[in-house]
Amino acid sequence: MAEEEFIFDPSLKKKKKKKTGFNLDAAMSEGSTASPAPESAPTPENGEMQEVKEGTPEMDDMEMFGKKKSKKTKKKPFNLDELTDALPDSNAKEAGAGEEGSEKEQAPATMSAEVESFDLEMDFSKAKKKRTKKRPGLKELITKEEIVGDGDDKEIECGDEWIGSERDYTYDELLERAFNQLREKNPEMATGEKKKFIMKPPQVVRIGSKKTAFANFSEICRLLHRMPKHVLQFLLAELGTSGSTDGSNQLIIKGRFQQKQIENVLRRYIKEYVTCHTCRSPDTILQKDARLYFLQCEQCNSRCSVAPIKSGFQAVANKQQRQAIRASKN
Amino acid sequence: MSIQNLNTFDPFADAARGTDEGVQDALVHIRIQQRNGRKTLTTVQGLSSDYDLKKIVRTCKKEFACNGTVVEHPEYGEVLQLQGDQRENICQFLTKVGLVKVEQIKVHGF
Repeated sequence: MAEEEFIFDPSLKKKKKKKTGFNLDAAMSEGSTASPAPESAPTPENGEMQEVKEGTPEMDDMEMFGKKKSKKTKKKPFNLDELTDALPDSNAKEAGAGEEGSEKEQAPATMSAEVESFDLEMDFSKAKKKRTKKRPGLKELITKEEIVGDGDDKEIECGDEWIGSERDYTYDELLERAFNQLREKNPEMATGEKKKFIMKPPQVVRIGSKKTAFANFSEICRLLHRMPKHVLQFLLAELGTSGSTDGSNQLIIKGRFQQKQIENVLRRYIKEYVTCHTCRSPDTILQKDARLYFLQCEQCNSRCSVAPIKSGFQAVANKQQRQAIRASKN
Repeated sequence: MSIQNLNTFDPFADAARGTDEGVQDALVHIRIQQRNGRKTLTTVQGLSSDYDLKKIVRTCKKEFACNGTVVEHPEYGEVLQLQGDQRENICQFLTKVGLVKVEQIKVHGF
């Protein structure tokens, strides 16, 4: 999935922005990366890869723009940092291991892209005033895509050069043709329109100075179609605290937590226990079978086991408790 | 949406990984716990027992300018404890030094 996005989107959005002539080169390099066998010269390909890599987060940011400003500003530097961290590393690897390195490098890149796009899918729909910004952003995108579409038509013409002529087609030309046809037949795929999974933001209120209430906990559980018990178990294990639901079905957690922190944990919960691992659709059922939890997808019928919830090692932070333990040992 | 046939698949990825190193095989869980006030505690669970955790904690303490210990736990083995929120630091440290690979690290907490 991510691989495919690689091939489509960067060339669609980013590179198009720069110049159309570039696209052919990109397609060439994509061709070489997509095919496992031929190893091209590592350095130029690497350059391309970097571009592609940089292309994806930027695109993500673009999409993210309207939805959540604060998110974006926070996310972007982090992404770039990550990138710059990753890049020298991969370069070094490449120098050491040659072409194998490049393949390895590709894997984390796709992973990160996947994660990114995943994040996108579940934006906690917070936008109120930001809505206004969202519209023009989307329109821009659409217009951009229209431009891109025009460019593609030209490409088709130049991509099918070999049809009339005597010479044989090359691999790259065929590949380009295939992708152009794909794009033509499935316009919604080319534009990257995905059904977004929209969640309500958790309402988190501080109770006193040491406890936090998660007010719409039961509502969120209902939205996710998950048992509150399971969500609660995960939340408490992840946060490393204790807590319970009170009379009005809100969750009281010990410790100070902010909304975005809870949101983060919920995001992780959704990723692991709600969205299908194969097709990422949120239309899933969590079943317990032979002590293991299985995630059954209603869309693609895939069934896979999910990680059990474990709170793991919990340090004894309280001084009195520690002394009590010590006393009991002696 | 995705075209599975076009994904690059390296059939020898597992083999290559196997020969790399066999010391650290399990996931490393990095957790955070809240203490009183703004204080926090970072725990690192699952580091291979072939590593000398005491040495690791010694360098960590210097590097992050925090205190830390190694705690023996009957179920989870030896666990690193560091004062403060060192999740980012310890992630970078472990990967930089080459003790643990990035995909083996699992960060918990908010």
